[in-house]
Amino acid sequence: MGGEPSRGSIVTRMYWWLVNTISRMLESDEREVVLGDIAESKEPGSQALCNVLGLVVRRQAIVWAGWRPWLTLAGLILPLGMLLSVASRTTSDGSAVYIWLYANNWDWALLSNPGFWRVLAETIALLFMWYLTMACWAWTAGFVLGSVSRRMIKINGVLLCLMFLFGELVGAPRYFAYCEDYLHRTFGVPAMPDYHAAVFDVTFYRAMFPLIVQTLLVALPALWGMRRGAGSVRLGLRFRVALWTAAFATLAAMLMQERGLWLFLNMHIANTYLHPGPGMGWAIRLLQFVVFWPVMYLVANAIGRRCYGRIVPV
Amino acid sequence: MLGEFEYLMLTSATRLGEEAYGAAIRQEIEEATGRPCSIGALYTTMDRLETKGLIKTRMGDSTPQRGGRRKRMVRVTAKGSQAASDFYEAVQRVSRGVSWEANRLAVRS
Repeated sequence: MGGEPSRGSIVTRMYWWLVNTISRMLESDEREVVLGDIAESKEPGSQALCNVLGLVVRRQAIVWAGWRPWLTLAGLILPLGMLLSVASRTTSDGSAVYIWLYANNWDWALLSNPGFWRVLAETIALLFMWYLTMACWAWTAGFVLGSVSRRMIKINGVLLCLMFLFGELVGAPRYFAYCEDYLHRTFGVPAMPDYHAAVFDVTFYRAMFPLIVQTLLVALPALWGMRRGAGSVRLGLRFRVALWTAAFATLAAMLMQERGLWLFLNMHIANTYLHPGPGMGWAIRLLQFVVFWPVMYLVANAIGRRCYGRIVPV
Repeated sequence: MLGEFEYLMLTSATRLGEEAYGAAIRQEIEEATGRPCSIGALYTTMDRLETKGLIKTRMGDSTPQRGGRRKRMVRVTAKGSQAASDFYEAVQRVSRGVSWEANRLAVRS
């Protein structure tokens, strides 16, 4: 930045870093003007921080005085954040078991066993599909959120990430505890023995791995999807309708396919008709395919830009 | 009817003329009132005045002192001048016959 000292105490540099970071929540023209004013007035970092923070708060207060941001928060950010957190926890716990199995039972002699390679390939394919599905769900949720709140994409991105963090640390564990209690109270299902206790006794698999999965497969794809969604307004109407249809189908698929979320639907329907497995209906098979639409969209986008120039926003 | 801060901004911008932009107006207001003027108050008021049609703003040139960043130049419209003039006359009218010095002494005694 122009006004801040390039060298100084850690505190001073921290102030200017915060000024620079927080000012990103302003519109680009306004950010340029405000940072220019601060540079010209040569005010200290602490005062500059107060000034930028004050402007951001005032701008947000004006925006949040309307009903739209609250609707977006209540209708999209909170439910999507919670749903994705539950799905992420299911994915991370499921894959942690496989990773633990290989990491803690590793024997170099296995490499000479042809059966090992076949099982390993199946496991990698399974985990890859889980991870790809998770990332596509998150990307789609971000795409929808970015499409409906283009002007608030930055603050909504921050709120969504906070919701992910809350969902991962508080929401998902409480949800699973509630599920178990509900099953026990309603259907008399006895508490299942914890077959995977050995895995989740390890701090890495219990506490760190879920956060890594949440960050890499949920938060980053969701933020990427938000950026794409914000740019989708420049597309043609038909293309936008197609994207929105695919997005809603994906979110519906997430609700129906994710085993950790089945309580959100009627339990009997979920158990009888919608559970993924050999007996599932054609609609669910179609939804499973549609889930991967972000991959198709991104590939088509890249090919289109390479062959015909910039046809859709990056 | 204008607010106090809106009047201060219109008057400062009018005084600065072609050189009226955010940082310069802020400095004028601080010197005139002896109080700090926050950037938040300045730019939200600027937006409000522009919405009311009392000023017009545009992006100006950049200078080295600003780290190569552009200014937001301000021009007071005829409607803005009229509003400021009306406000000033209202303050004058309501102040007519009031002696603040005498009042302060009366309150103290």
